[in-house]
This record gives sequence, C-alpha cells and structure tokens, in this order.
Amino acid sequence: MHKEQFNSRNVNNGYYLVDIEDYPQDGWGKFKRVVRRTLRGELFVGLWVVLREMIKFDIHTIEYPLEKMPIGPRYRAVHEMKRLWESDTERCIGCGLCEKICISDCIRMDTRIDENSRKEVSQYTINLGRCIFCGYCAEVCPELAITHGGEYENASEQREHFIMYEDMLTPIDTMKAGKQLEFEGFGAITPHEDERVKKTPLAY
Amino acid sequence: MIHFTIDGISVEAKKGETILTVARKNDIYIPTMCYIAKTTPCASCRMCVVEAKGVEGFVLSCNTPPTEGLEITTNTNALELERTNIMKLYDVNHPLECGVCDKSGECDLQNKTLEFGVSQQNFSTREQNRPVEHWGLINYDAALCIMCEKCVHVCNEVIGDDAIEVKFGGYSSVIIPKNSQTLDCTFCGECIAVCPVGALVSSDFQYSANAWELKRIPATCAHCSGGCSLEYETRHSGINAEDSIYRVKNNFEFTSLCGAGRFGFDFENRAPKSEAAFSAALLAVQNCNAIRFSSMITNEEAYILQELKNKLGIKLFNEDARKLQEFMASYSSMSGKKHYSGSLDAIKQADGIIIIGSRVSSDNPAVRYALTTARKHNGAKIVYAHPIEDVLLGNTMTQFMKYEVGTEEGVMALLAREILRDADLPDEERAFFDELDLGYLSAECNIGDEEIDFMTKSFQRAKNCVLILGDDVIRHERSANIAKLAAMIEKYTIFSLVVIPNEVNSLGVSLINALDKDEAIANVVGYNAPGKFTISSLGGADLDIPALNQQEGTFVSIDNKVLPTNVALAFDGYTLNDIAFACGIKHETTIECTKKLGKISGFKEMDFDALENFFSPYGEDVRGYLLDEVACEISAKLDPIGALPEFNGTVIYHSNPVLQFNSYTNKTKQLQKDSTLQGSAQFATVAKISDGDMIELSFGSRVMKRVFKLDETLKGTIALNPTFDDVIDASRYKYEKSKIVRVVHE
Repeated sequence: MHKEQFNSRNVNNGYYLVDIEDYPQDGWGKFKRVVRRTLRGELFVGLWVVLREMIKFDIHTIEYPLEKMPIGPRYRAVHEMKRLWESDTERCIGCGLCEKICISDCIRMDTRIDENSRKEVSQYTINLGRCIFCGYCAEVCPELAITHGGEYENASEQREHFIMYEDMLTPIDTMKAGKQLEFEGFGAITPHEDERVKKTPLAY
Repeated sequence: MIHFTIDGISVEAKKGETILTVARKNDIYIPTMCYIAKTTPCASCRMCVVEAKGVEGFVLSCNTPPTEGLEITTNTNALELERTNIMKLYDVNHPLECGVCDKSGECDLQNKTLEFGVSQQNFSTREQNRPVEHWGLINYDAALCIMCEKCVHVCNEVIGDDAIEVKFGGYSSVIIPKNSQTLDCTFCGECIAVCPVGALVSSDFQYSANAWELKRIPATCAHCSGGCSLEYETRHSGINAEDSIYRVKNNFEFTSLCGAGRFGFDFENRAPKSEAAFSAALLAVQNCNAIRFSSMITNEEAYILQELKNKLGIKLFNEDARKLQEFMASYSSMSGKKHYSGSLDAIKQADGIIIIGSRVSSDNPAVRYALTTARKHNGAKIVYAHPIEDVLLGNTMTQFMKYEVGTEEGVMALLAREILRDADLPDEERAFFDELDLGYLSAECNIGDEEIDFMTKSFQRAKNCVLILGDDVIRHERSANIAKLAAMIEKYTIFSLVVIPNEVNSLGVSLINALDKDEAIANVVGYNAPGKFTISSLGGADLDIPALNQQEGTFVSIDNKVLPTNVALAFDGYTLNDIAFACGIKHETTIECTKKLGKISGFKEMDFDALENFFSPYGEDVRGYLLDEVACEISAKLDPIGALPEFNGTVIYHSNPVLQFNSYTNKTKQLQKDSTLQGSAQFATVAKISDGDMIELSFGSRVMKRVFKLDETLKGTIALNPTFDDVIDASRYKYEKSKIVRVVHE
C-alpha cells in the first residue's frame, strides 16, 4: 500500500493554473497588443484561401440542415443504452466498468439489490458537458449495453439537460417494433460469431 | 532448523513450519485455494501439491513438514496438469455472473482460472436448485460456493462461534448453519472476509459497488481497545452525493475483525461547517473551569487537551481513563515498569490463560478470538473467572471459576497465593500470603480448594501463561491492591499480563493526560462527553467535530502499540486543533502532535507520516510502533485484605450485547441495537417481573426505563444492563445493586 495519497494534505483536487502570458495592465501595453495582433500576416493567408476557392467555383459545402452527411457506425456521438432482443429489458448489468474507465470522470452510476435478489441499476448518468466522446465506455462494456450513436445535434440552455438516462435508452416502442440499431463499431459481434462458440457438453 | 531445498534453492524451516509456509517465506510460488495462514490447513483443494524426490506421487505442501535434506520441486509438467485439472473441476457449472458478482475483480477463482487458462468446460454435471440463503447480515449463494471450507475453519478455530458446518454430499455439498435453521452467531462476518468467491457476502453491501470502484483507506478500528487493522472502502454514494464508506475489509490471512468493526462503519459526523458555533466553542473553552472528555479520541487530541490544560489552567475529567491510570500506576509501583508485558499475540501463543473480571466476548472480541486461537491451536487451558457464565466462551474455556460479585480482590489474592506458591518472594510479600484468612476468602468468594487445585493441575505443563484483567477489576474500589497482586504474578512467574482497556484509546489517554477527579463544578465543556457546552463528533452538539473515521491520528491499543488511522471521509468543519490554535497553541495540523508525544510514557519521537499500517506478505505486523518500556520506582506494599463487599438481591451488571460498545456503534445502520435488560429466570422471580415487561430500573442516582428480556442461558440473580445507548459514568463499578419496578400500562 502506498502512503502518498494519505501523506499529501493538498486538497486542491489536482487542478493547476495554465501558464499563459500576463494580460497587459496599462494602456500602452494594450495598444501594443492590438498593433501586434492586427498586423499579423496570418490574416491574409485566410483571406487568400477564401478568394481562391471562390474563383474556382467548385464548392463542396452541403446545405445543412436540409442536407446531412451519412454517419459511419464507428462515429462517436451521444451515447445510447441498448435493450436485450430477447426480453426488451435493459442490457446494462451495473458492472461499473464504464464509470471506472471514463477518463473525464463524467459517468456516475448507482446499483442495488432488487426484490428478486438481482443487481439493479438504480441511477445512471453521463454528464455530456464533461464527456470528451473518447469511446472507452463503449469499448469496455462487456454487454454491448452502452454504445455511441450517430445523434450529434444537441441544443439546450443547460448542459444538465444532456444527462438523462431515459433519453439514451432505446425507447420501448422502437424496441417492440424491432427497430433497435445494433452497434457495428469496435467490440460488436462479428458475423458467424455463433460458429465459434464452444458449447458445454450436456451428457450426464 | 531443518535444511532442505525447494526448486534447487536451499531453505531453512523452523520446527512446526510446513513446506508451503517455508516456500512463501522464500518467495517461491505455490498456488492454493483453501489455505489460510491463521487456521490449520484444511487440505481440501489439493492445489498446493508438490513433488518430493524419492517420494511416490504428490505431496501436499500445506500440511507436510519438511525433513532434513528433502528436495522439493514445485513446477513440473505433471504438477501443472494436476492443478489445471483441479481448476477445471472448480469451474464446472460455476455461474458466469462475474459482471454482477460482488467478488469480481478480487476473486480467487477468477484469478486462478485465468492463471491456468481454463477457457472451456469439457465435462458436465446436472445442475441443482440451490436457492440463495439470507442469514441477516450475511447472504449465502450455494451456487457460487466452491467448498474450500475456509469459512468453517475460521468460524471454528479463530472466532469460536462454531456456527456453520459443511453438509457433505459430494457435488451437492453446501455450507449450513450448525444445529439451527438459520445462522445464529455473533455476526463477526469473518466468513465473508475469507470467502474466496462471492458465495458469502454482506447483505448490505451486495450489488451496491464493485471492487474496482472502491478506494481503500488503511485505518485502525475505532470501537474497542483491540486496535484491529482494517481498511475502509469508500465511494461516492448515489450520483451526486458525497463519498461514503461502503464496506470494511481486513487482512483476513493474518488478522480477524469482529462485526462491530466490519459492519459498524457509518458513524461519521455529517454536520455542516458553522463559524458561529466555532466562536461560541472558543469562548466556552477559554472561560471554562474544566473539560470533560471521553476516551474515544486520538492520542493527538489527548495531547492538545493536555496543552489546553497547561495553557488555560483548567481541569481535565475522564473517569474511564483515570481509573485505568490509577490501576496502572499501582501496577508500576509494584512491578517497576510502566507497561504490562502481554499482548494479543502472547495470548494466541499461550497455553495457560486466566481471565478475571471481563466479559470478553462483548468487552473485547479481539481478546476472545485470541483465546479461541490459543485453545484450538495450542490446546491452551483457559480459566475464566467471572460471576456470570458466558455461553459464547463455552467451547473455549476449560474451567469456569464462578466467584461472588464484588469479591475480585479476594479471588485475586487466592489465585496469586496459588500461582506464587513456589516463587522466590521477598519475606514481606511471603508473609502477606501466609497471613491470608483462607477460610474467609474462600467462603466469601465462593471458590473452593478443589477448583484451585484443578487449575494448578491443568497449568502443570504450561510454558507460556497469560493473566488477563478486565474492567471489573480496574473499576473495583480496591483496584490498587489488585493491580499490585497482578504485578507480583507477572514479576515472579512465567505469567505475562494483559489489561483490557475499556474504550478505544483509554490507554493512550491514561498515558498522555494528567487527569483530575471528576466533580460537579460549573462551566464544564464536554468533549465527546456531557458538559454545559458540548463539542462532539456524535452529532447534535454545540460544535461538531469529525468522528474517528474522519480523522487522522494514532491510538494506543491493548498491545501497547501506537497505531495510525487515516481519514476515510472528509469533514468540513472545525477540529480541536482549530480551537487550540485560536487559544495560542500553534500546530499547523493535528498530526504535528504525533512527534511531540515522544517525550512521555514511552512514546517515540516519530512523525505521523513515518508510521506504517500494513501486514507484510508473510504476516509480519508493521503497523505503528511498540511503546518503549519505562522504568518506574518500586515503592508499593500489599495492603492487607479486609472485609469483602457483598451484593445481594437484584444485581445488574453493566455489559453491552456483543458488537455494541458505545454511542458510535449505536449510530450505525447494520448493527443490532438490543437495549433490553437481559436477566436470568432467577432475577425475574426476585424482581417479580416477566419476559417483555417494561420496567423502571434504578441504581445509585440513576433511573432508566427498559424492557426486560428473559435470557435462559444466564444463571444466578443477575441481569445485563447495556450501556451503549445511554453512556453511564465510566468510573462506575460494573455491578450495581438495583431497584426494579414494573411499569404498569394503564
């Protein structure tokens, strides 16, 4: 057992200040900064690129939101919580691996024992204000329960609006209609997976 | 010393060591499933097989002692195959529920399955219906059980409850409660700790967190003076809440923990920070005449209190520690040294033990477990001298010596006389024993010659003896003389002495503080104790301070060891150090005082951060440090024994139920809180009450209401009055003549 964590009585949570140039304090300093920023040649580089593309008349821009690009299965947008095909119940077993692996510490869950002595996920949240969409949670999930979907259009006044478990979970009517999209990204079941399964002999 | 080789490395074994223990000491790996260092090997897993040159077949390394010149091989292909086959059998039909299992991540079966690469099941067996058993604080899932029998061995050999057993039936073997429908034991939870898989789990913890999410904080148990090592495991509770303690674990390979330590961890103080309360507390302390405090504090807090006393010229009241201080002072004046010589380890290794004046199974479970270990592993003869028989020690003690309530001094004199019979005593002391009025003592104490002869006979072959003294003698009005007698036994015979301090740090406080006799004066500040202004970690006080699982500091345990404890949960408010700081006693942190303790009573000048808190892989205890011995002046003389007190009628004994110690254990969620007055049938007859009656109990100047519960296992006119829910004055002698009135409901 290492004692460093107990011997360190610094309670600042590991935050530190980034080393940036000091802001100018007086008028002369501010003036110098304006001049320096204004006369930087980079401005004209950008202007030249725009002018060049304008003259070519070969425009790639799509007319979003009327047009949308197709999203690949491995694209990592807002998370989805999948249901089991057999029973329509939630796939998440509450193992806590996504919570543990999350490098931006944005997943929190709470589990308990339910009346049938089974493990039940009582609370689950992903703080999308913190999430960096690295995909580790989907990768570590042993049940393919949490995956990334293609939904990238989020807008709200509050970041807290993005953390509802109910919004991530496949709606039950989509499920009943057999329209849950299976994840095809990393860790997904490969075709012909069932041929590779070694079965337990049942002769006794 | 026996010399032999393991895998070509020459090793040495002491007498009594097995091939496995020697291999582990020399960092040679032999896999095991059922081996546990603190019990005798149960040899059920057969994983530890090794080959010995010249011996046909395999040898079980866990229970085979080496012989001179033996050549052992631990890793041949044949052995690997044998072990892999054993693992395959363990894995047959084992439910694949690792994703939800509580043990996943710290599971022996999981580790070994991966180690031996068992990836498929080549044979099968018909699975049977094995429902999950709910045994109160413990749940048992037979489907996960691998029948290593660790739980049974620990329960029987170390704890002494002997509450579970194996129901044999080949593949359908299960663990069942012994002689009972449901588990009826003291709920130490040691079976949960040793279970290598998720078969035995804490029902409160089950499915609430996983091994990989919990943060481990090594600490020392804050409930009794046993000073058991434990680890608090914390995690955020819920999705937005603060951290809380989820469970407590211990190094079960070498140490044991009682249920209070294991299940009673949620006694933290959650009060918010209040500056107004702090200013009020500061004013109260600066203007008080005395501080009354309990012994449930760290050494550092005790040191700061002492500094406050020196600075402000106030008095310090702590009757519990003061009684112990007086007792030990009297002991020192006879023995010439400050600390008693025994320890829990000495008890574990002893083969002759006498306990006087302690109901150990509830006073200090650590001592009880040490007694069980001594009994089961060394066949120790254990004499339990007490007015009340204890059913929990039924299998452990070899002789119950029942004496009359209040005659502890006489008992001690009779035993000392017998034990010191052949000792080389100075004339004066010899004269004291020669002049004892044996007839009177024997009659008053109700201890016959044949009982003493039986004890002497059973101790004839004993080489390591321990005398254990409990609270009954520390709080006895003649405790000074008893301490001197105990010191003589320790000084002139092979007996070592262990005194059981009442609270977690009674011993530390008694060594650090200069205490005054408690008196009813005005303006007393209570520090975890009653007073005009209260500063307490129990919640609801005038100023809230952190509880012992929210503090860092040290305790002095029953072993005379200074043990560190760490912060498991954060506390936002103020501490005693802040008050002291404002009073001009400048310590940056409380633990600065750990080093300053160094000038008194055998403490070392060591920084808190330099104190270790773990067990080595070989079971070596590297926690804190042992107090240095301090020489004292020998000045005492034995007092002649006068008339022994008599207790008649409805006598009550202040004693807590097992697993309850104080207001902190009373605060916890899981521990049972039985605050009934438990009395014998005889007691009920004398008091004219019956089972379930509401009674009014009065003793001294105290009156309290309790429900009476008939306990068939108690004998004599006695009832046990719990103290954990209503802390009574700690200096009281534990027996009390009482008046009992039945409360009639209208």
